[in-house]
Amino acid sequence: MNTDDLVQKLAHELEAAAPLRRPAARAGTWFAGATLYVAALAIGMGFVNGYSDGFDVAFWAVQAAAFVTSLLASAAAFASVVPGLPSRLRALAVAAAALWLATLAATPTAEADWSAVASAAHEWWCVGFIVAGGAPLLAVLTRMLRRGAPLNPATTAAFAALSVAALANVGACISLPHANNAITLVWHGGVIIAATMGAAAFGRLLFFWRLAPKPRKA
Amino acid sequence: MATSDSPLDTLGDLMRAAQQGDGAAYARLLRTITPRIRQVVRRQRGFAGAAEVEDLVQDVLLSVHSVRSTYDPSRPFEPWLTAIVRNRLVDGARRYGRIARREVQVDELDVTFSGLEAKDESARLGDAAAVREAVQALPEQQREAIELLKLRELSLKEAAQVSGRSIGALKVATHRAMATLRITLAKRRE
Repeated sequence: MNTDDLVQKLAHELEAAAPLRRPAARAGTWFAGATLYVAALAIGMGFVNGYSDGFDVAFWAVQAAAFVTSLLASAAAFASVVPGLPSRLRALAVAAAALWLATLAATPTAEADWSAVASAAHEWWCVGFIVAGGAPLLAVLTRMLRRGAPLNPATTAAFAALSVAALANVGACISLPHANNAITLVWHGGVIIAATMGAAAFGRLLFFWRLAPKPRKA
Repeated sequence: MATSDSPLDTLGDLMRAAQQGDGAAYARLLRTITPRIRQVVRRQRGFAGAAEVEDLVQDVLLSVHSVRSTYDPSRPFEPWLTAIVRNRLVDGARRYGRIARREVQVDELDVTFSGLEAKDESARLGDAAAVREAVQALPEQQREAIELLKLRELSLKEAAQVSGRSIGALKVATHRAMATLRITLAKRRE
């Protein structure tokens, strides 16, 4: 197969391909839609936590941290499918995730009843909310990300899953009252970490090169 | 590099024109970057033969083509291209490693078998030119399956990704193609 033939074929069959918008803009579009969706889900489920006893600053600080993590993780995912971009956004997303988990761990886990954590059966509802509620978001995000270059499938998938799970976690937290942050940390954090690692493991099935066939020999 | 009398002076300009559907600019861009890519591939894959180098170069060109919309005209072209080349070379190395793991090295046998039934399939089917012609005569889908799985030696999963077809469909197409090739080449021998 001749490389000149390939060049000729690609140039001859070229179709216009408008440049993708910048990762931050694409992430913003997805995130806005995803936030509306999660808000609608949360309102549909009750939207009670954090309001029952007035404005709980610690609670909303944790939610804000999760929200920022989700936003930065989606931006990192979009940046990871653009060749040649620096990895600043990835570092920022990881830092935000660490900060979020630290916020969660720092708040009243000290007096938490850890024995209640394992037996918090109602948390399966939250797991369902994060997994089932997040699935459509992940599907849309994956579709958008597939328009980019699958340079690091595991990284892209991990940030996508982190973004979706963090946002769905906010929806779960504001829909259902949680006794303490230890429960949230273990159950929600566990689901998010599992989702992120699972996505990274299967990233190559979601993001891969789809190349045009090479021309046949003359 | 673009000629100085052209309004498209940089690779980035050429890619921007290509994104708008300018085939001539795209051809110029690809012809400009091909020797550079080849040079990088040769440097990174010193052990590779000419055919393997060209295969990798073509993989990079196809990759550039498939993600050309990810190039942001306001950013420099070189880092964009370099990231793709590096990524495809790593993928190529992985593929090479997988193939090498599957291969079993044996000493060359010092015995020649005269009986036709003792020869392997490639020896029985005749010369390479005849096989090439027979492959070209296959229906499109069967030919693609053979090219991906037998000639480029991709795994079923990789071939499915490249072709956009299911693994089952590829298996069926390969099976049919092999049957057709056997018949075609047997007739030719007679």
